[in-house]
Amino acid sequence: MAPLVELDHVSKAYEQKVAVRDLNLRIEPGTMFGLLGPNGAGKTSSIRMMVGITVPDSGTVNLFGRPFTRESLKRVGYLPEERGLYRKMKVMDQLVFMGQLHGLTSEVAAKRAQAWCERLQIVDAAQNKTEELSKGMQQKIQFIVTLLHEPELIIMDEPFSGLDPVNATLLQDTLLDLKKQGRAILFSTHRMDQVEKLCDEICLVHRGEAVLSGGMREVKSRYERNRVIIDFEGDDGFLSHEAIAESRQYPGHVEISLKEHGDAQALLRAAEQHAKIYRFELVEPSLEEIFIRTVGEKVDA
Amino acid sequence: MREALLVARREYLERIRSKAFRISTVLIPLFFALIFGVGALSGKLSGGARHVLVVSNDSQLAESERAELIAADNAAAETRRDPSSRLTVDVKAPLTQDDLAALNAEVESKQIDGYLWLNLRPGTTRLEATYTSRGSADFVGRDRMQDSIGHALVREELVKRGATSEEIQALLRDVDLKTQQVKNGTAVAADASKGFWGAYIMAFMLYFAVVFYGVNVAHSVVAEKTSRVFEVMLSSAKPESLMLGKLLGVGAVGLTQMAIWIVFVLILSASSLWMTFGLGGLAAYGVTPLQLIFFVLYFILGFFLYSALSAGLGATVSQESEVQQFSMIIVLPQVIGLALIVYILSNPGAWPVVLLSLIPPCTPIVMCLRMAAMAVPAWQLALSLVLMVLSIYGMVWVATRIYRVGILMYGKRPTLPEILRWLKYS
Repeated sequence: MAPLVELDHVSKAYEQKVAVRDLNLRIEPGTMFGLLGPNGAGKTSSIRMMVGITVPDSGTVNLFGRPFTRESLKRVGYLPEERGLYRKMKVMDQLVFMGQLHGLTSEVAAKRAQAWCERLQIVDAAQNKTEELSKGMQQKIQFIVTLLHEPELIIMDEPFSGLDPVNATLLQDTLLDLKKQGRAILFSTHRMDQVEKLCDEICLVHRGEAVLSGGMREVKSRYERNRVIIDFEGDDGFLSHEAIAESRQYPGHVEISLKEHGDAQALLRAAEQHAKIYRFELVEPSLEEIFIRTVGEKVDA
Repeated sequence: MREALLVARREYLERIRSKAFRISTVLIPLFFALIFGVGALSGKLSGGARHVLVVSNDSQLAESERAELIAADNAAAETRRDPSSRLTVDVKAPLTQDDLAALNAEVESKQIDGYLWLNLRPGTTRLEATYTSRGSADFVGRDRMQDSIGHALVREELVKRGATSEEIQALLRDVDLKTQQVKNGTAVAADASKGFWGAYIMAFMLYFAVVFYGVNVAHSVVAEKTSRVFEVMLSSAKPESLMLGKLLGVGAVGLTQMAIWIVFVLILSASSLWMTFGLGGLAAYGVTPLQLIFFVLYFILGFFLYSALSAGLGATVSQESEVQQFSMIIVLPQVIGLALIVYILSNPGAWPVVLLSLIPPCTPIVMCLRMAAMAVPAWQLALSLVLMVLSIYGMVWVATRIYRVGILMYGKRPTLPEILRWLKYS
């Protein structure tokens, strides 16, 4: 099966600034794809080209295995970074209108909108004007607008920004459900912890270039497990062990970075002789660390 | 097209339901009624029973003048349609210097509204005439009073020479000057002042409607820009459809509002209330059906031309307040038409006027004025329509290009070279 999204050597420049440089990217059906990067890295620019709001200067954008056409947008749900709704419209009218724009009849749109409002717990607000709602509520409505026409490909730019933890979890669960139904989801974020929990694949962009991409496990396995966390009681003499490059000590808790090819098992044995060990964990590097390391390397290069 | 219609419907419904629509539907006719009403009203305020004295050292002349003034007032009353403001004229003669002082006091204390002092030098026909009243402006009318004195003098002279009153009446009858206008090769009766009023009102309506709804389009674009709703819309509809939908929606609101006013006017013109304002239907203003058809055509074309321009300009700014800065661009070509209103009406066929009427931004108003003043050649009307349609096409082309780039740009207002570069983006 063809990938839902395929960017092939895509570049885009605005006036003087290069926003995206030679970006390659594939999204397969049924995957949750994380587009990562700091602010201004080119995430939004890449996404805008996928949904045809802007056109790349060079390279090609394929959706559903074909070159981009507006027709294929009927199968895409897009949540822009800048949320926008008609402030004076009632929530339900707004949802139906947006659904109609996506090709639904008003009856179908109304029915689905109602179901989504129930699911996201905003039924009470459905007859209010949009401007009367809180920001989080508006975001949920925007979320529904994106999903109303049951798109196969869901593209969300910073979907979790500005949400409280309860609502963020609600949306995360919804996304996971949609993935289970076989939809492909791409979202951008600069929050690494969400990506780690949710994504199967990632692409890390920095200054318009992809610096790291692939399956989450595969990316992580490229990096050594060299962080150790120990909870202990007693003598901390083991902290002078030869495998340790750096350590940060808190009462009864220490976070250690190992030297390259440092032997964690030897460290465990040493610690055991000095103190009572409650927890010894060899942690795989967080995406954040990988990110900092990768970007750091690029900056040095 | 489905997208454009959906956008148009949304735009239309939101505007029709808004408070602003209801307020402007009521306030704008009130505003116009006020402008026209103040004129009508000011005439009325000076009404009521009026009392004027004619004083002279020649009692026969005073009697003649009295008769002339009353006759003139009767004639004026026909058009005034107000019987309450009849003029009462009394004669007092002869007169001493003390009497004059007493009369001044009477004027001061409002016992009389004014007096006309006719001093005929003995043995000559030289007459010194002085009218004294409280106000500097006068309800009898300077011209009318001057005419009446002239008539009175001639009448008296004729009486002295033995003419009968019938002969005098025949000699002094006012000549009724008829005016004709050549339309489509035949001369038809024309009333210059009526034609002028009809054209004046239509030109103002065009000006007002095009500016008002044109700027509305800009506001609507900027509002969607500030609410950032564009990006969602763009992922489901083409910018061309969005713009077209917006123009159709706002235009339909304009037509709805006009229709409400027209129905309102028709109801009013059937009622007596309307008659007391002294205004009749359109026909009374010399507006022909052909003019009306072109008025509607020019309104629609003018609206699309200006609102496409306005949509393009609206897309270049990020804040509502900045719309004001460019509304000047929209108003200017129309103000040219209105500023030259007298010149156009009196020289409807002069080449600068013809040229102006063919320049699309000026066409609606200038052509409407020309049509009121003359029978505009068919080829000029046709050419003006063709030019307008072409320029709308061009304007929409330019505006959509500015629009599709502009609606996603925020912050600093683009410079003109930047906007020109946008035109090249695809």
